Amino acid sequence: MKKEEIIEKVDLIVSRSGTSPDKVIPILQRIQEEFHFLPEEAMRRVCEITDIRLPEIQGISTFYSQFRHNLAGKHMIRVCTGTACHVKGALQVYNAFRRELKLAPGEDTDRSSIFSIEKVACLGCCTLAPVIRIDDITYGHVMPEQAGEILVDFLRRPQRKGPVSDSGLITVGNIQGEIRIGLGSCCIASGSAEIKAELEQTITESGIVVDVKQVGCVGVCHQVPVLEIIKPGENPMFYSKIKPEEVKEIVLSHFRPINPANRFRTRILSFFEKILKDGAPGTFERYPSEQRDSPLTRFLEPQCSIATENRGAVKPCELDEYRKSEGFNALKKCLKLMTPQEVIDEITASGLRGRGGAGFPTGRKWQLVHDQIHFPKVVICNGDEGDPGAFMDRMLLESYPFRIIEGMIIAGYATGASGGIFYIRAEYPLAVQRIREAIGKCYAEGILGSRIYDTDFSFDLEIFEGAGAFVCGEETALIASVEGHRGIPRLRPPYPAVKGLSGNPTLINNTETFALVSWIIRNGAASFASIGTVKSKGTKVFALAGKVKRGGLIEVPMGISIRSIVEEIGGGIASGLGFKAVQIGGPSGGCIPASLADQPIDYEALNNAGAMMGSGGMIVLDESDCMVDMAHYFLSFTQSQSCGQCTFCRIGTRRMLDILEKIRCGEARSGDLEQLEHLAHNTRKASLCGLGKTAPNPVLSTLRYFRQEYEAHLEGKCPAGKCLPLITYTIDETCIGCTKCAQQCPGDAIGFTPYEVHSIDAEKCIKCDICRQVCPVGSVKVI
Amino acid sequence: MKITIDHHRIEAIEGMTVMEAAAAAGIVIPAMCHIAGVHNHPSCMVCLVKDIGRNQFIPSCSCLVEDEMLIQTHSPEIRELRREALELLLSDHVGDCEAPCQRSCPAHMDIPRMNRLIANNRLQDALDLVREEIALPWILGYICPAPCEKACRRGTIDQPVSVCLLKRITADDDSRRRNNLLIKATRTGKRVAIIGTGPAGLSAAFYLLRSGHGCTLFDQHSDPGGMLRSHIPEERLPRHVLDAEIDVIRNMGAEFRMNARIDDRRFEETLLHDFDALILATGNEEQKILHDFGLILDEEGIRVSRTTFGATHPGIFACGTPASKNQMAVRSVAQGKNAARSADHFLRTGKPHGPMKKFNSSFGILWETEFETYLVEGSRDKRTEPAGGLRSGFTTGEAIREAARCMHCDCRRQEDCKLRNYAGEYQAHQKRFIGPERKMITKVSGHPMVVYESEKCIKCGLCVAITSREKEPIGLSYIGRGFDVRINVPLKGSILEALTRTAEKVVQSCPTGALAWKSK
Repeated sequence: MKKEEIIEKVDLIVSRSGTSPDKVIPILQRIQEEFHFLPEEAMRRVCEITDIRLPEIQGISTFYSQFRHNLAGKHMIRVCTGTACHVKGALQVYNAFRRELKLAPGEDTDRSSIFSIEKVACLGCCTLAPVIRIDDITYGHVMPEQAGEILVDFLRRPQRKGPVSDSGLITVGNIQGEIRIGLGSCCIASGSAEIKAELEQTITESGIVVDVKQVGCVGVCHQVPVLEIIKPGENPMFYSKIKPEEVKEIVLSHFRPINPANRFRTRILSFFEKILKDGAPGTFERYPSEQRDSPLTRFLEPQCSIATENRGAVKPCELDEYRKSEGFNALKKCLKLMTPQEVIDEITASGLRGRGGAGFPTGRKWQLVHDQIHFPKVVICNGDEGDPGAFMDRMLLESYPFRIIEGMIIAGYATGASGGIFYIRAEYPLAVQRIREAIGKCYAEGILGSRIYDTDFSFDLEIFEGAGAFVCGEETALIASVEGHRGIPRLRPPYPAVKGLSGNPTLINNTETFALVSWIIRNGAASFASIGTVKSKGTKVFALAGKVKRGGLIEVPMGISIRSIVEEIGGGIASGLGFKAVQIGGPSGGCIPASLADQPIDYEALNNAGAMMGSGGMIVLDESDCMVDMAHYFLSFTQSQSCGQCTFCRIGTRRMLDILEKIRCGEARSGDLEQLEHLAHNTRKASLCGLGKTAPNPVLSTLRYFRQEYEAHLEGKCPAGKCLPLITYTIDETCIGCTKCAQQCPGDAIGFTPYEVHSIDAEKCIKCDICRQVCPVGSVKVI
Repeated sequence: MKITIDHHRIEAIEGMTVMEAAAAAGIVIPAMCHIAGVHNHPSCMVCLVKDIGRNQFIPSCSCLVEDEMLIQTHSPEIRELRREALELLLSDHVGDCEAPCQRSCPAHMDIPRMNRLIANNRLQDALDLVREEIALPWILGYICPAPCEKACRRGTIDQPVSVCLLKRITADDDSRRRNNLLIKATRTGKRVAIIGTGPAGLSAAFYLLRSGHGCTLFDQHSDPGGMLRSHIPEERLPRHVLDAEIDVIRNMGAEFRMNARIDDRRFEETLLHDFDALILATGNEEQKILHDFGLILDEEGIRVSRTTFGATHPGIFACGTPASKNQMAVRSVAQGKNAARSADHFLRTGKPHGPMKKFNSSFGILWETEFETYLVEGSRDKRTEPAGGLRSGFTTGEAIREAARCMHCDCRRQEDCKLRNYAGEYQAHQKRFIGPERKMITKVSGHPMVVYESEKCIKCGLCVAITSREKEPIGLSYIGRGFDVRINVPLKGSILEALTRTAEKVVQSCPTGALAWKSK
């Protein structure tokens, strides 16, 4: 690209974004959108025409992982390395794609510059693990041997621009019923956009008059894509795991076509009725939504919807629907009937604690900001959910944008703030899109802006897109990032409540915390406080994933036991292997062994067990999961996300990882465990911010409960068969000689010997696990 | 407001840091990433103290005082955390404090600095520097087996720097040798007897005279020089060289009593009686007498402290061959110097004292991929052979050319590097947290005066803060994050453009040897 062209485009971007130093991140984001990377020329130009200095733009553009400094291929393959994907083999998938693209070490783009590949923290589709995303197409349940197939499939697809549209068909006439289709990120990833297209085509062709309602996340992410059919006089019927070609059959089994001209219809119908009677049709599952003891009710029954109230029943950005279900009633009640102090008292009385992880009492935080005499004040919604294995914020932002907006406005009223900022990860495009749309609608209806509901209270909201740095979940780092700096945490005190964004008193709450506010105001503090334990009130949303049968987004009352979540909601372990542990709290949390699974979900109880509430990732592990590998996985995440400021976090976590690496490779010696433990304790004591202080938790908690597994590694054994350097693949005599493994083996380690027992050449084996996965009789063994 | 630091009640002012409040009460807390007057994020963590009230460790350089704060600045736990912070930094610190040549020199001479001075044609300064550690540079310039050259990193690339000949040329001029001899001396009135006029005795005399003590050297032979005269042939060591350097010591005020056999009576009546201290630098002879005076002998010679050279009898020191057999002259020279320094300490304080052992970071072998980096500061010429032959040594021109081959492996901040000094103070071990592979060394030397060695950087960001505060048009920037974060000129610019007016300030503020003056 010519220099003049770059300059022209940069000038345009700057003229739209502004020239003050705090605009640096949005400017870089727009430049990257334009060029798919950050050309040096563009960065120089920005410095010429704005108040941004060269060292700052260099520092910021290399701090946030969203930014690229070299030209990428036409399409970007993002391999999710979130926890759920990790335990289901994301690394093998990543390596398989690299092999398919013939990438040498250090390269990330293929020779013809069509594809680039990168690992990403968590795409938030944990129930579809392992997941990859190519541009905006997501593939779930990816097997390493499918890499080539997927690339071909992607290139064959008609190119679609931008995320899925929320616009639906407009129906006129006598409505026969309602079809709800889930359009959360998991649903879309699993193909619900295609389902929706098929649905619209079926309706147009058949002339059926139904409302197609795109609802937010239903929570049953393990069963996506889902459809629910609601027809007056019939029990609502829930369909899951449907395929596009099955849509027509399903729809026509419920609704009589109005246009009798369709010749195929009767045939299809009779065929469909036949298969319904004959038993399971196609691959989908079908059961009445309210049927007792269906997998759906077993999944939903122990749950308690407050943050996820009306889940699966409302269209995310439909303001009228939100209003119909008491939406904004809480805001009106606050503005018209309550003083700010009364609002705070109500929140305090509810016992609500911050859902971001640490559990600071929300009422007290509000009070602190309220009591500041410095103005303006600002409210920030922390939606920088970055834990691998967590997607609660994403789902709440995508599905209930108005609820969170309402919570923020109420917080603004209570604390005396005049504006608010949504800080949302750039990896969540759908959430950004929906929040933007919802904010627009609120302004149009006078719910945001000046003199809300004709009161004296005015409040503005805007969005700030995070640029990819887990540490920005830490509130002072988040503020630094909004101010246009590297996301470096600073010392507290002063707390943001006293001196936050631009020195102003700042209230920062987690997305889920805001989502609970309106319910508390409407139903009263006492109702909220009646749920939960002595010190942990209300509900908690978890992203349940890993080795359970039914994963998904769940909201449970505090005090429920871990075992109930795993066994009742999750349906137990899918593989049939033993339930080993639950990883709670992501990289700051820890592993709680199955023997302690009767622990209630409660801030203090989880802390005492060496884990923490965290933001709510819950990954269930079975006996095939290695705890050293888990510790290594989480620590490598935090280590890669350290801002690099303080010695203990920057180097200490790295040295801990070095030791874990040695243990994983069987190269550790006696004394290494003690050194690891010692360094972990000191890193916890002497790191500056929460990231470093909690980074050792996964190591310390696994050492506490699974020390014998570490000791086994010292002797060169990985009991779970997970740590590659310590395992070998072999084929036993049950092999039927089908050659499937030999055909798939990327390393030519298995000879093509039809009808004979195959064998693996350990020298050539790259331990990609493909043979084990393709073997039809389970003859491939890991020892 | 009132706060308590280590049981001292201190009146503190709001807005003060804990470190400032402590300093006001005379409590010194170590710090690397912090200097007064520069606003910087805390990072190094050696300033950790304990906030007893919150039961937390806090960086005192930036935590502000709060009313009734209870602070502890010393405890085994705090010491351990500080030491561990240093060890973590050291595990990621690729660089040598002292160059391998200096570390392998028994006399511990600062060879790279000598090379820099010679390369700049500052031979007098070079000689003065050499004499800080070696009393007989001209002599050793002929006979030293030069262990330094075996350790020289240039040797891994082509051939080592010709250190021995370079040292020789610093002293090969009469007038140069006469200059700056007693510059530091103020006369103490103390008298020291030295038995033996070999390399150890001469060396001891040189340093004692420089410290202002009177010196009398005893020798049973008619001419001073010991084994330098008796065992080394004229072809290797010209006698005029030997005589000239002995004359230097004589001119400094040493009294030589030749043909003086030390017997029992003389030892007791003269030496122990008339002198304030006694240094035995006798060679192999006279061991019996020494034994008779209660000095314990073993196979190696007289038993003395390996660090202070003090013998069992206070005020008696031993060095040279009696302390250990079969050694290089340079080792005798070094021992004479150390015995003299210990004796000097004894004369001033009543107690002997060994040389201070300083912390030394070292990274070992230079990789082939780093040759280019290292050659940036060294001339690419082959080793210079003196045109007039080995015996006549280098001409000044040859010396300048040869000295320019030095690659400056030493750290040019080894005196004031805070990382080194605290590592010594906290007894940190560099290898405790050794990583799988060290980082590759880089040297940024595009600035005529400043050299930047990024692998010595502890990422404190003081230079970034200063260039930003001083509004350098380009300045320095953090690049990347986490473990891989580094500091450099933005967008691959040159360091010359980056430091237009702040070179002095950033070099001064750098707590390690990452940023240094090239010519130091």
